[in-house]
Amino acid sequence: MSILLRNIIRFVLLLLIQVFVLNEILIHQLVSPYIYMLFILVLPFNLPRPALMLLGLLMGLSLDMFMNTMGMHAAACVFIAYLRPFIINILSPQGGFETTQKTPSMTSMGVSQFLIYAAILVFLHHTVYFTLEVFGFANPLYLLLKIILSSAASLFLIILYEMLFFSRK
Amino acid sequence: MRNLIIFLRRYFNFFLFLLLEVICIVLVFQNNSFQHAAYVNSANNVSGKLYDKYNNVQYYFHLKATNDSLVAENTRLHNAIRSSYDSMVTTNGTRVDTIRRYSDDTTHKIISTEIRRFQYFEAKVINNSLNKPMNYITIHRGSKQGIKPNMGVISPSGVVGVVRSVSDNYAVVLSLLSKSNSVSISARLAQGKEMGSVHWDGDDPAYATLRDIPKSAQLHKGDTVVTSGFSALFPENIPIGYVEGFSQGDKASTSLTVKLRLATNFYNLQYVYVIENLLKDEQQSLEDSTYKLIK
Repeated sequence: MSILLRNIIRFVLLLLIQVFVLNEILIHQLVSPYIYMLFILVLPFNLPRPALMLLGLLMGLSLDMFMNTMGMHAAACVFIAYLRPFIINILSPQGGFETTQKTPSMTSMGVSQFLIYAAILVFLHHTVYFTLEVFGFANPLYLLLKIILSSAASLFLIILYEMLFFSRK
Repeated sequence: MRNLIIFLRRYFNFFLFLLLEVICIVLVFQNNSFQHAAYVNSANNVSGKLYDKYNNVQYYFHLKATNDSLVAENTRLHNAIRSSYDSMVTTNGTRVDTIRRYSDDTTHKIISTEIRRFQYFEAKVINNSLNKPMNYITIHRGSKQGIKPNMGVISPSGVVGVVRSVSDNYAVVLSLLSKSNSVSISARLAQGKEMGSVHWDGDDPAYATLRDIPKSAQLHKGDTVVTSGFSALFPENIPIGYVEGFSQGDKASTSLTVKLRLATNFYNLQYVYVIENLLKDEQQSLEDSTYKLIK
């Protein structure tokens, strides 16, 4: 399957999972997991940064359309799309990753590297999104707890998704 | 000039990032204005249709609860109609329902002068959220079927929210479960008639807070709180919630803060009624012109 087709399918699939499964689950006021930003996390390594950011904007706006949170998810997505190359640079070994696979995954980056990579970006995404959503630092503890607990839940789902859908070559 | 272009090209990524973020933030703020009818929301055709399809499946799981609430409401309405009362007073003669009729064209001229104040439309709920600071409900009825922004929305058991934006076939309702100062519903105690306002504090979808009730009010657990009918959105005496507990606040304040159990069960909302106030414009223009006179 070509990378383009694979990403288009992933875009739709993640959006549907997010809107019709995760948004319907009420775990706790503090825990609302998001998985759709996995789309940005696993875009190919060699994608230029403007394309990354525009795809982030597209993904964010699509979800905003469903959730009536105009611009909030888009802002968070563009933010992590912009920071993604920095994080990959920091985590990559000398001379870059062995590019037998062209996308970040547990097999191409190594399990621990990928976990750190995902954790940082998920945390940043949630920080931006929940700060915009709560809008104000009136209750910083609530905000912090919400960010941390939701990040943990999202990360758990992302690992699950990776293990389900990626064959280890 | 050349240096400027080099500078821009070197930091192109960063500027693109800033531009996109600014666009997003502008969208966030535009959307925050209460009356703004954003086109890209869950009332548009793509997401509206998808939610509709999804709800077709999900609806079956709530059939029992929906039936129960509709039957309960039917019973209440049967009890309210005139034929259920054995009228002993015959001297008053016949009573006729009063209805104000409008012409169908755009001028909306009044054809007959009998007065009808509220008209109800039924609507199917196709999407509903509970766990956000601002919660929205999407309903399958839009401008083609007579829905306009700023109409009140009630469920068979109580108040639900206010219509915010409308597309051809769908409408988005700002739910009572919205943690915002702009969302408050004018309320009063069913027994004592004291006035207050109902807010949601963002914690539990089953409870809300009633503020500004004077300390002199006689409160008991389980008392009903209903709409006041002062705002043009809702008729009076529609239940909002039931008193669960109340506190004095600090000694200096002159009002009570009351915890309410909401009358509407937002967890399994399936059908709502949208209320059109046919006399709203008349009331509004009279109030506005009076206000101008005083100014």
